[in-house]
Amino acid sequence: MRRPLIGLTSYATEVQYGRNDLMAAMLPMTYVRAVHAAGGRAVLITPDEPGTDVLEALDGIVFTGGGDVSPDAWNAEHHPATEVDAVRDAAELMLMRAALDADLPVLGICRGMQVMAVATGGSLHQHLPDLVGHERHRAAAGTDPLAAGASDYGRHDVVVDENSRAHELFGRTLVVNSFHHQAVADPGEFVPVGWCPDDRVVEIVEHPGRSFALGVQWHPERTTDLRTFTALTEAASVGAIIPA
Amino acid sequence: MRPIIGITSYVVPATWGVWRDLPSTLVPHDYVEAVTLAGGRAVLLPPDDRDADVLRALDGLVLAGGPDVDPALYGAACAPESEFVIERDAGELVLLRAALDADLPVLGVCRGMQLLTVAAGGTLHQHLPDVLGHERHRPGPGVYGEHEAVFTAGSRIAGLMGTDRAIHCFHHQGVADAGSLTVTGRAEDGLPEAVEDPARRFVLGVQWHPEYRRDQRLFGALVDAARTGMKENGTTCADR
Repeated sequence: MRRPLIGLTSYATEVQYGRNDLMAAMLPMTYVRAVHAAGGRAVLITPDEPGTDVLEALDGIVFTGGGDVSPDAWNAEHHPATEVDAVRDAAELMLMRAALDADLPVLGICRGMQVMAVATGGSLHQHLPDLVGHERHRAAAGTDPLAAGASDYGRHDVVVDENSRAHELFGRTLVVNSFHHQAVADPGEFVPVGWCPDDRVVEIVEHPGRSFALGVQWHPERTTDLRTFTALTEAASVGAIIPA
Repeated sequence: MRPIIGITSYVVPATWGVWRDLPSTLVPHDYVEAVTLAGGRAVLLPPDDRDADVLRALDGLVLAGGPDVDPALYGAACAPESEFVIERDAGELVLLRAALDADLPVLGVCRGMQLLTVAAGGTLHQHLPDVLGHERHRPGPGVYGEHEAVFTAGSRIAGLMGTDRAIHCFHHQGVADAGSLTVTGRAEDGLPEAVEDPARRFVLGVQWHPEYRRDQRLFGALVDAARTGMKENGTTCADR
């Protein structure tokens, strides 16, 4: 049986590595390893070219973490803390709509979940600390938010709606990591089905009208809990076994 | 739809935004732009040696530049200057061998030309200054060596390059024995700069960096070959 081919949206950004300082198409390996561990084959989808024809070659797609989504998309003023990448926004909003139209299995992670909301007519809170009065969605107290280890993400509970598909995957509660300062305000066509119990920040969304369209606000790729990736590759395998 | 061109990618600790030394997969964006300008759709291929399954989605393959190839793969002892990444060698060789079997168009750049050579049974010089007595193929950190190449009349690369034979090199290893490939370009010092497999539809390796100038002569030829393959195979959306 062939492995489902899973696209990962990626950065095009200035990067330093070794002696190099240059513009690169790139993504942390954690996403790639998570897809491979879940039985898929990962390819990176670069944001420079906003066409959507590449979706025809994929069995599933992950919208990955990254910078903020521009509030221009829902006609709001920019918060001073909002940092956007217009090229990536344009490419991913178009890809998201096309992927949903084609009913391609879609997983949104952090920024990717926010793209789900915005691409379907929703909106975001631009700076959570203004809303909830704390920083626990960004980093655990006393840790260095700039360090690269998984323990540097904030940790909190998520409570899952019992009448959701996410509940079949996660059960009633789970503990997640967290590194974001924006959050879903209006989920658009998606339905919020998981929340942080402390502040009601939306942590899981799903699309009732699609075979598999799940968004999570946390970073499963940086944990050993790969249920989200396994669910995606299983959904993608259904498409992948249709004979050519 | 546009031909999909897979580009093999690095795995390195990378620093950007708030992140420091996070293991990442990447390629210089020049490659993506060169493919996009040529009318292809670039996707990046992180190393994975489990199988070559991903080829079914590709119409062409770019073997990007990168670290040295493990000398064990061409039967040599490792010289002190050789620096290789086993994970990348393994992943790229699985892909390349399957791509050659399927006669998929392949463009090898720098390390990619060296990998083509190794897959063809050839061998590499592990440190050119020891062999050539000069550093003109890698003058210094971040500095390209500029050369005028000489191409074999009638070869694919000669036809593509025309009269402008200026090339930009950055490498410390080079092709010693091209194996079953044909050397079709050389630098002034005789070092192989281009290899081809005339028996296949499009297999071209260049020791220089055509992506640096987004050279449409080379990337355009790759994408054209990929597009021709789509037509010949009758590839449609439904087949994918």
